[in-house]
Amino acid sequence: MFFLKEETKVITLHPSYFGPNVREYLITRLNEEEEGRCTGDHFVICVMDMVDVGEGRVLPGSGQAEYTIKYRAIIWKPFRGETVDAIVTSVKPTGIFTLSGPLSVFIARKNVPSDIKWEPNTVPPQYTDHGDQVIEKGTSLRLKILGVKPDVAAINAIGTIKEDFLG
Amino acid sequence: MLLRLPHGLHYPITVTSLLKQPGDSVERDEALFWYAYQTTVTEGDGLGNKYEVKRNFPTKFESSVDGEIVQWKIGKGDVIEEPIDIVEIDEPCAHEVQFGGLCAECGKDMTESTYNTEVDDSTRAPIQMMHDNTALTVSREEANRVEEDAKRRLLSSRKLSLVVDLDQTIIHATVDPTVGEWMQDKDNPNYQALSDVRAFQLVDDGPGMRGCWYYVKLRPGLEDFLENIAELFELHIYTMGTRAYAQHIAGIIDPDRKLFGDRILSRDESGSLTAKNLQRLFPVDTKMVVIIDDRGDVWRWIPNLVKVSPYDFFVGIGDINSSFLPKKQELKATNKAAVKEAKEKEAREKKPGEPRANGAAPKAEGGEVSALEQLVSMGGGSNPRLLQEQSDAQEETIMHQVEDRPLLQKQKELEAEEDVAESSDSTSSMDESQDSLKHRHHLLEDVDSELFQLQDRLEQVHARFFEEYDKRRSRIGGRVAALRGEKTRSKEKDIDLKVVPDVGDIMPQIKRRILGRVVLVFSGVLPLGTDTQNADISLWAKSFGAVISHKINLRTTHLVAGRNRTAKVREATRYPNIKIVTTQWLLDSLTQWKRLDEEPYLLPVHPDDREEPISPGSKEVAESSWLSSSDEVWTGDEDDDSTDDMFKAAGLNETSPIGYDEEQQTAVHEELKEFLGSDDESESDTDVSLVTDEITVPSRKRKREGAEGEEMNPESDEGEDTDMQGSRLSQRIKRSYERSTGLREVATASGASTAEATQTPLQADEGDNNEEGAGEPDQEGTSGDPPYTYPEEEDDELEREMLAAFEDGDYDSKAEEDIAAENG
Repeated sequence: MFFLKEETKVITLHPSYFGPNVREYLITRLNEEEEGRCTGDHFVICVMDMVDVGEGRVLPGSGQAEYTIKYRAIIWKPFRGETVDAIVTSVKPTGIFTLSGPLSVFIARKNVPSDIKWEPNTVPPQYTDHGDQVIEKGTSLRLKILGVKPDVAAINAIGTIKEDFLG
Repeated sequence: MLLRLPHGLHYPITVTSLLKQPGDSVERDEALFWYAYQTTVTEGDGLGNKYEVKRNFPTKFESSVDGEIVQWKIGKGDVIEEPIDIVEIDEPCAHEVQFGGLCAECGKDMTESTYNTEVDDSTRAPIQMMHDNTALTVSREEANRVEEDAKRRLLSSRKLSLVVDLDQTIIHATVDPTVGEWMQDKDNPNYQALSDVRAFQLVDDGPGMRGCWYYVKLRPGLEDFLENIAELFELHIYTMGTRAYAQHIAGIIDPDRKLFGDRILSRDESGSLTAKNLQRLFPVDTKMVVIIDDRGDVWRWIPNLVKVSPYDFFVGIGDINSSFLPKKQELKATNKAAVKEAKEKEAREKKPGEPRANGAAPKAEGGEVSALEQLVSMGGGSNPRLLQEQSDAQEETIMHQVEDRPLLQKQKELEAEEDVAESSDSTSSMDESQDSLKHRHHLLEDVDSELFQLQDRLEQVHARFFEEYDKRRSRIGGRVAALRGEKTRSKEKDIDLKVVPDVGDIMPQIKRRILGRVVLVFSGVLPLGTDTQNADISLWAKSFGAVISHKINLRTTHLVAGRNRTAKVREATRYPNIKIVTTQWLLDSLTQWKRLDEEPYLLPVHPDDREEPISPGSKEVAESSWLSSSDEVWTGDEDDDSTDDMFKAAGLNETSPIGYDEEQQTAVHEELKEFLGSDDESESDTDVSLVTDEITVPSRKRKREGAEGEEMNPESDEGEDTDMQGSRLSQRIKRSYERSTGLREVATASGASTAEATQTPLQADEGDNNEEGAGEPDQEGTSGDPPYTYPEEEDDELEREMLAAFEDGDYDSKAEEDIAAENG
């Protein structure tokens, strides 16, 4: 699910950046560092705007300045039970690996409808019901998240396509 | 799942009541039954006194899994003494496939653990079996299922699995930017050879690493090879390179992804940086797997391995991804004493480092240090080493290669036609390349036919496998057909998993025939001090049925000589049945899976080595076998003039009246021989084997050995190697400590022998050496080996020798004190 979240970040700046463009520089730094980041709990999709750029404070000893920035960002936190769209990255006898944006979702063979079978003899290998449904690398899938596990800098999720309106 | 009682309970426990009946569903941490246990507790009586009291406590036992109860294994009132199975619970999900700590089927977190957790759920799926993903793990049952499916599929299409190594097996890669420059330069002598080298850039994610260009040369005939072999095998890539590297290479050798698909396993997923493990890919069984690799040690020489000769196109580059692997045992046909076995990384990096030292002069005079080169070397210099600890070495290797440009250096050297002889300290592989290419004026050449031969071999294995499979199947199939009629046959075709023969059995069968009944002795092939039985080449040869022997004797069939004029070569000339061949014969035989005709590989034996030198010692004994054995010793690598005198002394001594009587002589010499045999290995720069044949000339043996024993002294006296002497000295000292009875015997007649010992320095030296040999029986005698009797004569001899050794003055003073104490 997507959220608009207000967060704060502390950026230290080298004195060589002090000048009239310091604000622009801070924005680029913020965008570079935050966008696409995975906290382990959620993904930061996009920094919307800066609510407040605090006063720069020069750190004694190093001469660097420290800015505390408050900003709003769109984040995505995958939940159990959420339905997402994903693209298949690889298919294996044990299941299907997919990517839903930044989130890697694995669909076990048991969570694939029973009429769609593993077919190793084609190139590339695929899951198919020998009809019009073929799941191979690059296929788009709609899946439901069964479980989410946060890791240090990534999130792993388990999905299923064995329900109505999924696949 | 069967629940088992944990170890931590207060046994014995008494079951008081069962809370659930079969068919009931339980949740995790829900109570299953009540039980009572007895334990000792400390109680106060309210007055400050404490007593140890035994009490009964009722407790409930909680389930550690969800599910439905199938069957109780215990009943009410049971007294349980030790952990047993208590209840069978049918779980809705056995968590057999897990992805990143989640059960892939039910989505539960597998890593969570509570006070009640007996076994972590994540251990229920311990096997990684995906090529490209480490997050997914499966249980043994699941792996079995998947693998069985795969096997059925392969059998029905009559294929085997083939695990292919990349570096130096089917390709050769380098990061030397020189290659790129040469490829641009049409005038470069190497241009022709480089025409089909592919390049790609890998942007390593390390900070500051702007990505470096990899140049990949495919082994000649690779395309056809893969094409043909893919019909017989399902191909997998298993490389020690990174994932990105492997992907790129796969993109080059298999652009359509038809051959390998995504069956690529790289260092990132391997799980080990030093060894390759077939179980990583085929966790259940490896019956249908063949491996091709240029290194046997990383696979621990498993029988499924087909070792290929390394592909070395970019001379001296080696395997760029092998930093993590143990140092390869260098073995070249023209190798001298071979490169020292340096396991340290430094030593490994010396190799790329060395060309710099050699090529420094031409580089300076050429003055063509291009801007790019500087840039690159700067980039290399600032190369961050703060990535992972392990990748440091890898990066450094690459950095060195980028920085030093070993190829450029070599080409320059080549052009400058420098005298190569002085670079004796550089690796011999370099020597070789320089020598052989000098006249051709270009460094890189493209002659390699390994893949063609390899294809034959793989086809052979494939044919044998299915031959065997068919044989076994028809045996069973025939029976079944007789029982059930013809119908079952077609079905049988797919599912004969039980009769699948093991490649690991079949390949050795094929291979063992090749060098069966071959008894090899190495000379000048392995560095001294290496374990001849466990060196790479020996293991390899052994897998072909050859027997590696340490000494030359009647059974020896081949002497594999790394260089000419070693002692063993000379010794081998005495046996007409021994073929003296170069290392190349062995290597070629091993790689071609054929016992090649030895004729083209025969080592030209130096005429001197066949001659029978005339010396005073020889006249007295006048026995050709003795001659040659003595000859080998003193004409060794030593200075002949000085040794001649020694030899005279030795000869004199041989026949001098101080001799032993027959029996003792045998005993002593037996020991001496043993000692010398072991000493032989540790000897550093000569390869002299003093051990001779016992079977052929038993009557001469003693004399010969005696002579040899004394002839040891020229060697050690020459003292070319101080280490050696040091070790001998220490051995001597050690022995002098160990000796007890022998010394006492010595002490009795020490007076007499001092005079003798001081006679001539020569004899003293000689005695010194003999002492080593003679010291051995002493030791043995005390430790209760075959009983030796030392009559007076013998004692005299021993004493004389020992004292001579002491005269040398290089023994520990403490030993002296010991002796003094013993003498009383």
